[in-house]
Amino acid sequence: MLKSVLDVGSCFYKLDSHSTLLFKSLKIVNQCNQIRLLSSNIINYQLQAKEKTQSKRKIEPLVRSKYESKDYKLPKWKESLGEFVISTFRLDMDKVRAGPVAGSYYYSICRKQGLQVEGEELSPSAKYFYETLRLPRTFSQWFQITVLHEWMLFTRMRAMPFKYGRNYQQKLVDRTFSDIEIRLFEEMNIHSGRIVDQYLKDFDTQLKGAVLAYDEGFYSDDSTLATAVWRNLFAGRKNIDISLLEDVVKYIRSQLYILSRMSDREFALGKFNFVLPTETVKRLTPDEELQMKKSVIEKYKKLEKSGLMLPSEKSNLSYTN
Amino acid sequence: MLSTVKEGAKQMVKLLEKFPQERMKHMISFKQTQLDRFRRVAGLQVDNKIDSNEPNLSINEIKDMLNRSKGPLGLQRDVLKKIQAVIPRDQFTEQDLKRQISSLENIMSNKYKDYYDVGDKLYKPAGNPNYYVRLMDEINGKKKETFISAMKVIFFGK
Repeated sequence: MLKSVLDVGSCFYKLDSHSTLLFKSLKIVNQCNQIRLLSSNIINYQLQAKEKTQSKRKIEPLVRSKYESKDYKLPKWKESLGEFVISTFRLDMDKVRAGPVAGSYYYSICRKQGLQVEGEELSPSAKYFYETLRLPRTFSQWFQITVLHEWMLFTRMRAMPFKYGRNYQQKLVDRTFSDIEIRLFEEMNIHSGRIVDQYLKDFDTQLKGAVLAYDEGFYSDDSTLATAVWRNLFAGRKNIDISLLEDVVKYIRSQLYILSRMSDREFALGKFNFVLPTETVKRLTPDEELQMKKSVIEKYKKLEKSGLMLPSEKSNLSYTN
Repeated sequence: MLSTVKEGAKQMVKLLEKFPQERMKHMISFKQTQLDRFRRVAGLQVDNKIDSNEPNLSINEIKDMLNRSKGPLGLQRDVLKKIQAVIPRDQFTEQDLKRQISSLENIMSNKYKDYYDVGDKLYKPAGNPNYYVRLMDEINGKKKETFISAMKVIFFGK
């Protein structure tokens, strides 16, 4: 193409200049490559450093504020000011407690059941859900696992006096959605608020549907509960191993059994934690149950009589039921 | 070996036929999908007809279901493939089927509801004693709810 357009002499010249130009451009390209190499080295180094700091940083479940961290201790003056405010304004601590207990603690135990953290080994409960039950390791699956655990707590919260139970439920749901919203932005890297809103609405319908289905199953029979679990937790998997379904039904019923044996006071103070799915719950004999109730009643009676209870520790909820 | 698997699957089909029908209409039925699955293993005819007792879904109902429930979140094609890889295939051994049959029997006999009995404390919760009764009435289509009772729930919460 070049030859056909130019005469021979000029062609050499042109070719030479072309080659020098080529040489120069090659040099520039080389320099560029070196710069690129350097910059990529720097980026790699930065990434490695970031990874190192990330692996060093232990991710605690649900620590968005310093007050929720285990290491944080309230300064004495703040504590006494708080106690003063509670006693002078006669604040209803059972209402106030709903936030830290249901919104923070109970949500954290529901959340961590199916939580997977990048670069960390799965927790025993998450192992059960993702490895034994072979559930897909997705965000929506995590949500389904969390909803199942929240629903178990809802059944117990309904048995509390209405205004307190309702408040506990509200706090738990509020916290769930505020946490999901943050995680969709941060972990799932969604930058559009509109899309996050759509997801939240979708999660909301899933929550309502799952609670209705589980409630129906809980009240009617194990078969209905198993189908509810199959539709929600297993997403209607056709090739389901029915023994896994039985396992989950047993898991749910055993947790509910423990919840039913707790007094309102203990549950409201956040004394409940889920038993691992790999462990089996044995039913209490009538004697054991009576003894357990007695010891709880004695413990709280003693505390109330001693007069050592701080205004923030007081509660109107029953410890005898 | 094969014949025992078939026998086991037939037993499973018999059990599944006794499995209670779902009270509500769902996009997918546990009883039907499992019946189809085990009928295939047992070498029985799979009837594709919907149960004559159940009314057929109208187009509007299907549209409504699809509108209400969008596709599962974050499930892109590669994720779906991964899920497919993880989900076990149907290759039953005699032992497998025995295990599954006893599990289904346990579920159908209400073993865990009876063993881990929670009592009236949770079935008639103090905060809202009629919660489950009202829910079941509504699911069973007794139509006891009136406009006034609905408004009561909106304003007072129960």
